[in-house]
Formats: sequence, structure tokens, C-alpha cells
Amino acid sequence: MKQLTLFFFFITNISIAQTFLTESGNVNFLSTAPLNEFNGISDKLNGLIDLSKNVLDFYVDLNTVDTGIGLRDKHMRDNYLNTDKYPFAEFTGKFNAIPVLTGSSKIPVTAIGKFKIHGVERQIEVKGTLSKNSKGEILLDAGFDVLLSDYKIPVPKLVFYELAEKQTVAIVATLKPKKQ
Amino acid sequence: MIKLVLLTLFGILPFSLFAQLERSLANPNQPVELIFHAPRHINLLTVEPLSEKSMHFAIMHTFGTLDGGVQNLFGLDNGANIQFSFEFALNEKFSLAASRSSRDKVYNVFGRYHIFQQTQNGSKPFSLSLAGGAGVNTSNYNFLPESAPNFRERSSYFGQVMLARKFSQKISFQLTPMMAYFTDPRPIYQIEGTEQLYIALGFSGKLKITERSSLSLQYIPNLNTNLRNNFGIGWDAEAGGHVFQMYFVTSQALNEQYLLAGGNGTIGDEFRLGFNVNRIFATRQKRK
Repeated sequence: MKQLTLFFFFITNISIAQTFLTESGNVNFLSTAPLNEFNGISDKLNGLIDLSKNVLDFYVDLNTVDTGIGLRDKHMRDNYLNTDKYPFAEFTGKFNAIPVLTGSSKIPVTAIGKFKIHGVERQIEVKGTLSKNSKGEILLDAGFDVLLSDYKIPVPKLVFYELAEKQTVAIVATLKPKKQ
Repeated sequence: MIKLVLLTLFGILPFSLFAQLERSLANPNQPVELIFHAPRHINLLTVEPLSEKSMHFAIMHTFGTLDGGVQNLFGLDNGANIQFSFEFALNEKFSLAASRSSRDKVYNVFGRYHIFQQTQNGSKPFSLSLAGGAGVNTSNYNFLPESAPNFRERSSYFGQVMLARKFSQKISFQLTPMMAYFTDPRPIYQIEGTEQLYIALGFSGKLKITERSSLSLQYIPNLNTNLRNNFGIGWDAEAGGHVFQMYFVTSQALNEQYLLAGGNGTIGDEFRLGFNVNRIFATRQKRK
């Protein structure tokens, strides 16, 4: 019995040896409106890349997004994103083609999958680059646009600081190989 | 055996759940925010904290009674009591403030301390804050035949506990047991009470009507005097960094001591129009 368990344990872990994880990726939401430009930053992006099974899974706790002004953060959480109900922005998908990472060169990749924010899920395509560093970690650099109306996030016509309907999302993360 | 089961579970877990990371909040005790729109709600202070090193500036006005009718433009002709109030947050929990209201030219200094905040997971079912301060009446009483009051005799104090809960996205409620103390409550002061000590229980309510505006209520029954109770009803509107508060209230008082000792008109005819502008200034643009 014990041997069987250990066998399962190793088998499953060998099969995910191509898994890379992070809990401290960087997300940047950039809002460029005619009257005001600001960005919201979080360094709490959680991510998983499985190169053997072709799985991508990322999420960020939107409560951690900081725009630099406390009251604006509160309004963002309470009036726009409703983080008490929908605390996460999530992406789950796969690569169009599994990249082969050799050396430190940046390989362009395209991922398709479901992006979910504010309780609304949509199919999106994300372009980015992947590379591997000398420590065997994966460096991810990706970006996509989010139209707030697509996710039922209303933008008021009259606000003191203007909020852009189109948010430009940039992701930078270093994913470490999952420990055996 | 338990070890074996755990090992089996952990061994198989990646098989079944490998596709998704488990979603977990960065801070499981995420506070409930914006219980009220601003650190003021009609006349009373709220549990709403300020971000570190940000400043809250409130300009508050109350006018004459409505019963003069259109002849006095519903009290606007009678002159306003105006209070300027600056509050600065030293950190997320503690802020210091100074205010000046024109009724008896009272300068107040006070502090507000947030003991804990209501959390989204319910580990704290309500927010609890304290406020307290001291004020001095700086009116000129040299015209009096008797001697003018000295600094000590002009001083007054207040203390209050604020207990608030956001029951839903729409409904918030605050209970405010409060007290005020006048060292020497002279009849010349613009207060109705003759006692030194005033104890009252404030009720504040907010009913959100749209995403950025709410109906506001205030009721402050006196517990140890025969003065009429304070009642106010109004409308809060958020616009970016501003919160505008328009209301009808039974008292012209704007600081805590005068709210309790100042006396109140009857609801309706002796309502006074009130108007607050709240503005939050963020001085700290640097991120955490």
C-alpha cells in the first residue's frame, strides 16, 4: 500500500515537472482618458504555466490594486469592480502552440482562453513573450486590452478624474519551476 | 495511516486539480469600505477612515429656519452658521482635526481613532471608532456688565463612540453614544441647555439610492436633558473626490458640544437647510 502511494506521488509529480508558478507577478492597469491618465498596480499576480499539459491559469486579487490615491482605490473597489462580490480577475487558457524555450531568447506566444472580471467571462486572445533565465525560471511579458463595458462595469459620464473605457493591461512575471 | 491518506491525497491532487490554482484573497480580513460616503454624515462624525497622510476638508453650513417662508428665502436670509474643518490622518487608524464654527466663534480640536473595521468575511461584524476633543468659545463678551468669561470658563469638551455596520450594499447604520461637557454654560452662550453635562445617543442611517448618492438620516435623542431631540434628513452625492451633503436639520449647531447643548427646533416648520462640502486631499501619491 505504502509503495503504491509513493508510486502515485512520484508519478503525478513527474508529470507536472514542466509546471511553473508565481505568487508575485506584476499587473498594471493603465487608464488613459482625455483629462487624466493613471494606473493601478498589483504585485500579487498568481500564475501557473504548465508546458507539458498546455495549461495557463492566472488570477489577481483586485483588492491589491493600488492607484496611488486611497479614496480612488476605495471607489474603484466599491463602485466599479464590486470586489466584495467579485474579488478576482482571472484568466484560464492555453497556448495556441506550446513554445519551446531555449536559451534566453524571447519567444513570441499567443494564448487563448477565458478572462473573467466583475462576474463576466469572455473569450480573449493574449499576446506576449516567454523566455527562460539561467535559473530555469520563466519570464513572462504579456498584455491585452479590457473594454469596461464588455464586463458590465459602468463608467459615469461625470467624474472628477476621468476613467478610460479601455484599460490597457500589462503583465510581467517570473515563474519558478514547481518544487519536486 | 493518516499520513498515508494525506500523502495519497497530495499525490493525486495535482492530477485532479492541476488545471487551476486555488483562488485565495491576499487579505482574508478585507475591510468593508465606504460604510458612509465621508467622515461626516449630516452633522455627526462617522467611522469612515482616511487613508494615511490624506486630509479631509469639510465646509459645513446651516441657515435660518424654514418658517420665515419665501420672504426670508426659507432661512437663507438669516445668516448661516459656518464650520470649517480640517482633518489629517497620521496613519490608517488615527487622525487629528481642527475646526472653527461661527456660532460663538468656537475653535475645536479633536482626534478620531479607529479601533477596528468591519470585515467582508464577518470576522468583525461592525466598525468601532472613538472621537474626542476640546473647544473654546472666542466670542467677545467685553460688553457685559459682569466680567467676561476666562479661557477655562469658555472651554467645552466632547467624547463619543461610533459603532457602524454596512448591512448591505444599500443600507448602513451607525450608533453614536456621545457626551459633551461645558465648564461654565452661561446664558449668554448660544446654547439652550443650562447643564454642564449632556449625554445623547446618535443614530445615523444611509440608504443608497444610486451608485453615487444616498438618502441620509440623523436622529440624536438627549438622554439627560429636556431639550428637543435633533433630527435631520438629507441627500449625499459623491462626485469624484467630493461628497456633497444637503439636508434639513432641527439645529444650527455644527460642532459636537453645540449639537448636544444647543437645542433644537420642531421638525418641519423649524427645519433649517444645511449644506456640507467634503473634499479628500491625497497628499501621498507614492505607492506602498
